[in-house]
Amino acid sequence: MKLKNNIGSILLFLLPTLAGLFLFKLYPIFSAVVQSVYTTQFFTGEKSFVGLQNYQSLFADPVFWNSLKVTLVFNLIINPLQIVLAFALAMLLNTKIKRIAFFRGIHFVPVAVSVPTACVLWNIMLSPEQGVVNSILVALGLDPQPFLGSSLQALGSIIAIASWKGVGYWSLFLLAGLQEIPGSLLEASSLDGASRWKQFVHVILPLMKRPLTFIVVAVTTANFLLFSPMYILTKGGPENSTNVLMLESFNNAFLYSDMGRSYAIMVILLLITLTVVALQFKWLRTSH
Amino acid sequence: MNRFTRSHLLLYAVHIVLALLVLLPLAFAFVSSFRPLEDIYKYMSPITWKTFWPSNFTWGAYQMLFTERGFGQIFLNTFFVGAANVIGGLLLGSMAAFAFVYFEFRGKTLLFLLVLLTFMIPFEVISIPLYSLVNSLGWVDTYAGIIIPGIANGLVIFLFRQFFLELPTSLVESARMDGASWLRVYTRIVMPLCKPVTVSASLLIFIQQWESFLWPLIVTRSKEYKVIQVALSDFVTEYATYWNEMFAAVILSILIPVVLLLPLQRYYVQGIANTGSKE
Repeated sequence: MKLKNNIGSILLFLLPTLAGLFLFKLYPIFSAVVQSVYTTQFFTGEKSFVGLQNYQSLFADPVFWNSLKVTLVFNLIINPLQIVLAFALAMLLNTKIKRIAFFRGIHFVPVAVSVPTACVLWNIMLSPEQGVVNSILVALGLDPQPFLGSSLQALGSIIAIASWKGVGYWSLFLLAGLQEIPGSLLEASSLDGASRWKQFVHVILPLMKRPLTFIVVAVTTANFLLFSPMYILTKGGPENSTNVLMLESFNNAFLYSDMGRSYAIMVILLLITLTVVALQFKWLRTSH
Repeated sequence: MNRFTRSHLLLYAVHIVLALLVLLPLAFAFVSSFRPLEDIYKYMSPITWKTFWPSNFTWGAYQMLFTERGFGQIFLNTFFVGAANVIGGLLLGSMAAFAFVYFEFRGKTLLFLLVLLTFMIPFEVISIPLYSLVNSLGWVDTYAGIIIPGIANGLVIFLFRQFFLELPTSLVESARMDGASWLRVYTRIVMPLCKPVTVSASLLIFIQQWESFLWPLIVTRSKEYKVIQVALSDFVTEYATYWNEMFAAVILSILIPVVLLLPLQRYYVQGIANTGSKE
């Protein structure tokens, strides 16, 4: 049967949420695109239309190109790393051994540790002079490392810290997917004489397509826009080696009060993220 | 030793190494938070058992956080912002999901696609333009500025919608035949059945709020409105050498989510499983 509903109840139930989503989620994107072709006078606060000038000056600026390079290098390493590790961890946590619930519980712990908290914690532990990690390295007969203080190691240190927090969290999604695979399917394939690897490629991977798509997209968008480690730990240094686009955009908005430039970077970042996500969707669709 | 037990032993070895990797940094922070400041550097190098055990146990670091660094206010702020988001988010999200499941109107599919879109757009992308909007509303450095933009939440709508779709439609139909208003159907019939999804959604919202950093950093200026993650990051710049207090602050920031998640872990994982694996 068809339930009768009137316009009044539809508005009552839906309007507050839709208004909120439009105003605070969709409008800002639209406004970023529009504002990126304006510039704000520093003294008067007046806005004037400048066309693509914000973009042109960005493309002429080596700071922007370095920032783009850092963002891409960072993502080319951290995304595959976190996805592969999360999948491996989920497989490990899905084995049927005694006390597995206990080990699952342990990898649930980083859910309670936010990225900023993980940064503060590891910042103290990685301190070049008195941090515990260097004390351990020295005790093992190795040289102490500068970690976040070195332009060669800072990005790697941030990748390690973000993954320490992230991998357990992402593997939760994959573990939920793995647990929905019926055990009978796996038994049948091993009775048929399929090797572990063949079973993984032909039975597990195809069935994991949906959760895998989800975390590939979620990991990528999260890392392309990762901000707090760079803000808290390095402020983009040393020598701009961790100055990702998100930080550069934040600094332009709130440090140098150049909103037009900040929006232009944000639009570029949005375009990159959308492109990568679209490519991944396409790749995941065709590969199975 | 046969092959079976050897592979099991290997699995346990891997699990134990991974578990230590996760837990040791936290255990070290926990232990160090009970040290007096002058002890922090004393036992760091060369490494001995004293590096990992507080020989002069003290609550001093925790006391300092609350008496000198204003963590009482910070905790109240974070709880208030979290609670407001949970209550507002549950109410608006469940009502919108209710409309999407039980009402028929033109453009419903399109609107729902828009909701899904907002839930997939990462918050960081909109944070800076959102700041301009909130600024022109006069909400910078107010509770409204931290709370209101996050209340309408696509994820919550999605979770409630999944749950409503699994409820028998006859329940709602017969209530409507008996002349119950939609508001009554929502408050008296549907919502009382929603306990599991309500707990899942509350946890997801609260933890998300507890961990949020970028937005409160942008939208608040004064100490009055500081929330925990921002306060923690300020600590690094302002009091970089008070390691015992920094460790204590880290432990405090982890403590509340742990206390909530330990008994309610099942609901949190269900929420996550629903977002990750269902359409």
